[in-house]
Amino acid sequence: MTIDLAADAAAQERLVRFVAAAAGARRATIASLAPLRGGAIQENWAVDIELEGGANAGRHALVLRTDAPSRVAASHGRAEEYALLKLARAAGVAVPEPLWLCSDPAVIGRAFYLMRRVPGIAAGHRIVKDLSLGGPRDALAERLGQELARIHAVTPGAIAELARGQSFDFLTPASNNPGLDRVQLYRHYLDGLGDPHPALEWGLRWLELNSRPSHEIVLIHEDFRTGNYLVDEHGLTAILDWEFAAWGDPMSDVGWFCARCWRFGASDREAGGIAARAPFYRGYEAASGRPIDPAGVRYWEVAAHVRWAVIALQQAARHLSGVQRSLELALTGRIVPELELEILNLVDAAEGRAA
Amino acid sequence: MTDKPAGAALLEEARRTLLETLLPLLPPDRRYDGLMVANAMAIAAREAGQGDAALREAVQRLSALFPAAATNENLRAQPLELEARLASEIRAGQCDAPGVRRDAVRDYLRRSVTARLRLSNPKALL
Repeated sequence: MTIDLAADAAAQERLVRFVAAAAGARRATIASLAPLRGGAIQENWAVDIELEGGANAGRHALVLRTDAPSRVAASHGRAEEYALLKLARAAGVAVPEPLWLCSDPAVIGRAFYLMRRVPGIAAGHRIVKDLSLGGPRDALAERLGQELARIHAVTPGAIAELARGQSFDFLTPASNNPGLDRVQLYRHYLDGLGDPHPALEWGLRWLELNSRPSHEIVLIHEDFRTGNYLVDEHGLTAILDWEFAAWGDPMSDVGWFCARCWRFGASDREAGGIAARAPFYRGYEAASGRPIDPAGVRYWEVAAHVRWAVIALQQAARHLSGVQRSLELALTGRIVPELELEILNLVDAAEGRAA
Repeated sequence: MTDKPAGAALLEEARRTLLETLLPLLPPDRRYDGLMVANAMAIAAREAGQGDAALREAVQRLSALFPAAATNENLRAQPLELEARLASEIRAGQCDAPGVRRDAVRDYLRRSVTARLRLSNPKALL
């Protein structure tokens, strides 16, 4: 069920009352409200709010973010994502400023939060094709490497200082072998889906045999890729979509970012379809002091394709079961063979066979 | 069933009308929906054009991997049964050792994935 905020005057009235109270204003009014195209997991609204009275008086360009009906397993809810945005901001990551969280589903029908609207475009296929976006591409890749390094600077030991009393117990813990954790999780998901997927099993077995203990466990974004950051004509403006953040191996985010399935057709630009790996790695290494481990990145690129294939199967299953009929979810099921081909190619390459 | 045009040809023609005539009339924020519909129609047209050929080929390749397997008359159940066996063999590590079995499984997986890609997204094979 979609919430049609634009057509629901009573929900809008409850929303402005919530905002006025949260912002310490005498009165709040909605100046404009329009849906933003989100992912399969959230609904986003661009909302301009006029505040009268209080320290925040004036007009505010905001984004209202709420759950969509098709949440997939392992994604955080809005309250957790709101806490993650605050954490990321404290860690110096470029994120939209989170303003007010409303956990009460009675206000608009679901929990939501409001954040400042950051200008820019996220659509991956546009960023990859339109070179007028994002500024010079090597600089953009280097900057993304720096941002990722800032996320990875948050460790289980360092989080208390940044968290300001907020609990982050909701972050999935990692063992000292996060690759093996994933193999077990994805097998569990596949078993729940029913149909056999031998090519994915091929990748999972390789991941099992080639898993290694991680030297360090850090905060990982888990969806750090082209399509999930905003750029304007000059460069990066924000890192978005924190709903999968977890504890894990830092190289897993690097592998996800570079994985062929997130290059939007620009396969030869191996860093997210925007640049070569070198500037991205350079930015990451300089800001983190942690050398990129190429074998680790290769491992996590195999894991990336397995993970995306499992998520795609889960999304298709939502359509097939009738939980949420959607052409987009249905078509997502048909990208699986493409991901499987890349898994076979990567495993062949790792075993010294020409792909 | 001999009436013409056949289903696959009808789908292709419908898709051409969608892309050439209707898509330009859609508001920009609905264009993506139009493209998704066109993509779904293209996949369905390729599948309809192929009939049972892909399934029969899959059964043949799987039977080569499992020569002792009993023949199942149900064309759809057979590949699922054998693929489930293959999936558990791989998971159990029975295809790990370099050699004939591993090579045969590797070869099967590549052919199977390629055949499915020919339906879902042939551009990925270029």
